Amino acid sequence: MSEVATVAIGWGLTFVVIVTYSLWVVSRGRTIGRKIGIGEVHQSGQLQESDLPTDT
Amino acid sequence: MPERTDDSKMTATPLTRVLGILGIAASVVMAVLGLFISPPDVVQGEAVRMLYLHVPSIWIAYGSFVLTSISSLLFLARSKRREDSGRHYDRLAGSAAEVGVVFTGLTLITGMLWGKVTWGTYWQWDARLTTTVLLFVTYLGYLALRRLPADPVVRGRRAAVMALISFINVPIVHYSVDWWRTLHQKASLSVGRRPEITGEMYWTLLYSALTVTIVGAWLIIHRYRVIRLEEIRDEENLKMLISSRHQEKPTDSTAAGEVS
Amino acid sequence: MDLTPRHEIEEPEEVRRTIHRRRRWIILVIAVLLIAALAFVTAQGLRNATLFFRNVDEAIEQRTELGTSRFRIQGRVIPSSVQGESGVTTFQIVHECAVAAIRHTGDPPELFESPWIPVVLEGRWVQGKSQTAAGADSHYFRSDRMLVKHTNEYASANEVRVNEEPPAGFLDDCSFEVPVDHS
Repeated sequence: MSEVATVAIGWGLTFVVIVTYSLWVVSRGRTIGRKIGIGEVHQSGQLQESDLPTDT
Repeated sequence: MPERTDDSKMTATPLTRVLGILGIAASVVMAVLGLFISPPDVVQGEAVRMLYLHVPSIWIAYGSFVLTSISSLLFLARSKRREDSGRHYDRLAGSAAEVGVVFTGLTLITGMLWGKVTWGTYWQWDARLTTTVLLFVTYLGYLALRRLPADPVVRGRRAAVMALISFINVPIVHYSVDWWRTLHQKASLSVGRRPEITGEMYWTLLYSALTVTIVGAWLIIHRYRVIRLEEIRDEENLKMLISSRHQEKPTDSTAAGEVS
Repeated sequence: MDLTPRHEIEEPEEVRRTIHRRRRWIILVIAVLLIAALAFVTAQGLRNATLFFRNVDEAIEQRTELGTSRFRIQGRVIPSSVQGESGVTTFQIVHECAVAAIRHTGDPPELFESPWIPVVLEGRWVQGKSQTAAGADSHYFRSDRMLVKHTNEYASANEVRVNEEPPAGFLDDCSFEVPVDHS
């Protein structure tokens, strides 16, 4: 395997691993959040104290 | 439920959004610096570009494991005094360890590829490589231990002890290249020694370390929040199961009689 | 809403157990696999890690004890000594002014080409006259596995030229001179 191919595979693999892990973490947070009825809350306002889940 | 107000968001907050965007931007710059701007090495040629992934990865892994150890210590020392029984520290220890394991894995992968083109082999059981794979496996064990069902505080205590034992290996991995003869080269940078690395490569390496730190911090924060959500979900599930059992009781009089 | 159990105290525990019973088995299997992996790695490490290679000077000193046993030898390749012919490469490696003649079978790694590169060779001493930079020798090292042990020195290929001069100070105390090919 040539040097350039090794570098490409190494950087590519690292990128894929980090991105996959990040997406897994975020999506797991979303799934569980939705399951326990937290829903997504708007970040802008000073947070509505209502229990209504506000899907965006 | 007042205790939930802090957690009643998804895992992103303005801070982590900024951190996340910063991490992506820094990674793009890192790729440009590492892959195109920094020069090829006089001996290794283009293969030297693995340096900017391999070395920062293990630094961040070390850093994460330090964080795991400190959190575990605080958990053991303060768990009784805190209202949440120190579970904040337990979550921090767990999330940092998981990110540390990911980066240790990346260190191994990038190291093997780098080894193939420079040493001529993917793997050799020399002291550095052996202790690094041991580090990877012990922290995997730590993560497995965290999943063993038990009372959260008991489980946290077990995990904390395991984390502190596992950490013994971190300095061994780092100094293995000085203590034993290894195929692996000596530390790329160390305190009190002139870096034997040319300016552009040196700065690219430091910049890469900074980038990976940002990405690692973002991951640890998000993972921490997911662990908190998992805890809420588990508590909720338990409550639901209990209350559904209670609702069954009045209709099924014979069963209720047997139980009590 | 009050969700505290109104009946038996053991009940939440019982529920918890039902949830976790199946997971426990999976985790147990994983734990056993991990411990096995750990034991394997430790065994491998103990076998090899403590003495990964002998430097040329030590390998020559311990020649009688080593006999025909297989070990790893480490030294820098003398660039002017490299000769390749139909899959066999002969060259000399030097460490602490001790020189060994090498007869290597197999394709050397790419970086073998760079002058004065440190290499680790796997093989054994074989009796047979050889001529090295340090003089005549009664043995040579027959190797079938070569690993390049690159250093932690990095320099820009744009600024530094590859040259055949030995690394600064490397051969200063030696009683012999190594011919340098300036071509």
